[in-house]
Amino acid sequence: MSKKVKVNIKRQDSPDSGSYWQSFEMPVEVGMNVTTILLRIAATPTTVEGEKVAPVAYDACCLEEVCGACSMRINGKVRQACSALVENLLQEQPEITLEPMTKFPRVRDLLVDRRRLFESLKRVKAWVPVDGYGERGTPERMSQSDQEESYPLSRCMSCGCCMEACPQFNDKDDFIGPHAVSQAILFNTLPAGKPLEKERLDALADAGGIAACGNAQNCVKVCPKDIPLTISLAKAGRATTIHTIKRFLTR
Amino acid sequence: MSSQNATAALSPREKYYFLARRLHSLTGLMFSGFVCFHLLVNSTVLVSGESFQYCVEKIHTLEHMGLLVPVEMATIFFPIAFHTLFGIVILLTSEPNMTDYAYGGNIRYTMQRWSAVVILVFLALHIWHMHWLGKPFGGAKFDPENATTTAAAAMQSWSLWAPIYVLGVMATAFHLANGVWTALITWGVTIGPRSQKVSGYVCAGLGAFLLVAGLGAVRGFMTYSVARDGGETAIVEHVEDGGH
Ligand code: HEM
Ligand code: SF4
Ligand code: SF4
Ligand code: FES
Repeated sequence: MSKKVKVNIKRQDSPDSGSYWQSFEMPVEVGMNVTTILLRIAATPTTVEGEKVAPVAYDACCLEEVCGACSMRINGKVRQACSALVENLLQEQPEITLEPMTKFPRVRDLLVDRRRLFESLKRVKAWVPVDGYGERGTPERMSQSDQEESYPLSRCMSCGCCMEACPQFNDKDDFIGPHAVSQAILFNTLPAGKPLEKERLDALADAGGIAACGNAQNCVKVCPKDIPLTISLAKAGRATTIHTIKRFLTR
Repeated sequence: MSSQNATAALSPREKYYFLARRLHSLTGLMFSGFVCFHLLVNSTVLVSGESFQYCVEKIHTLEHMGLLVPVEMATIFFPIAFHTLFGIVILLTSEPNMTDYAYGGNIRYTMQRWSAVVILVFLALHIWHMHWLGKPFGGAKFDPENATTTAAAAMQSWSLWAPIYVLGVMATAFHLANGVWTALITWGVTIGPRSQKVSGYVCAGLGAFLLVAGLGAVRGFMTYSVARDGGETAIVEHVEDGGH
């Protein structure tokens, strides 16, 4: 167990300061993942040059790929640090490279501010309205096939991977992102979500809504929860077109 | 309605964004229809110079009804002008990341944008070169009365025209085929991965077909012999029709 791993980390001290690289080296442990690496660095933050530095800031919570907090660019591709096993990474390339996500404002080191992600969910009203919910009685039962289509969408953990990889999600446009489109479709399929169906479709028809998607289909490739995002996007394309035509004709 | 309170504060960009993106897709499809027709007509030069002349004259019968220019403007010129202008707006919102995420879909997404830029340059050259709109600028080498000869002479007048047209045809075949594939998703026709895979094969077939037709046409015009007698272009095809 004397095998060592070299980790190159893109660091940044504050939201507006520039970034720089630092390298660390540590013994490989059995079952080690990237979050373990960051934990070890925090214990003894010494670079390969022997310089003692501030520990690397990072985000993590569940440590089992369900909370979405630990997304970062690992060897150039966005994924969760907690489920990125060092053994597997070393099979890809001899050293490990960690960078923060690029599509969200950086706070410090590997820590980013994912607020835009949650703002998008607000824009499409990705929730069940609770006001007066009690009086509405039990919602209609979903059919088996609707359940089977909806369940995968409900696994979204707001991790930001799909937005990070999407070429249309950036500062030049206000695209809400594939996750929000998919959540709008999920809540429009749920009987309890129906009361807000039209408002969600209005939101999808707004600037930065579904039309901003350019069909690169990166989102579905990188989603760690295997959510069929491209199905949601195409469904949203169809539903929003029909909705806007109806809206135009009823005005 | 929820949108009522929103309407007041919306900028034109916010208000017409969805409509503009849908029109961009629709105009892309309209122009795709024209390009298929255009390349097929041009490839008839491979049959004979007379066949191409015959097709051109059939198209130009619209002219005698005074319809050619209106039809051309409505179904070709305005659609592609809108598609091009708004296409540039879309290009400006894109941040391609093909090197990080080298997936098939992402490579096609990036190539869709590169091919758009190639077509942009090619279209400008092509319109100047062959269309009457190029006349004020010293272009417009194509004359429908002597279609095959003038087109061939124009193609053979400069050694770079052939490579330019080959590049233009390649970019167009790709952009059109991939564009039809994405348009089917945009409009929610092909929703699942399986249907998108099948439509992918169909669109690839369409692209390959157009590539062959387009390259065939380029070859046809490059090899068509333009007889030159004392600098005059011989007119061979405008003979036996009594149309005029
Ligand atoms: C031969 C000429 C052209 C044809 C037949 C054509 C056709 C198409 C079609 C059918 C689409 C698919 C629309 C959709 O996904 O809904 C498309 C997309 C696109 N076109 Fe064109 N186009 C042409 C020229 C151009 C030019 C000159 C530009 C601009 C410089 C351009 C820019 C774009 C862009 C940026 C897209 C992607 C749009 C998106 O992802 O939403 N195109 N084109
Ligand atoms: S399919 Fe749309 S949402 Fe997904 S990565 Fe491509 S552009 Fe982004
Ligand atoms: S859709 Fe997938 S990649 Fe996107 S935020 Fe949800 S879990 Fe993450
Ligand atoms: S820590 Fe929750 S997903 Fe990694």
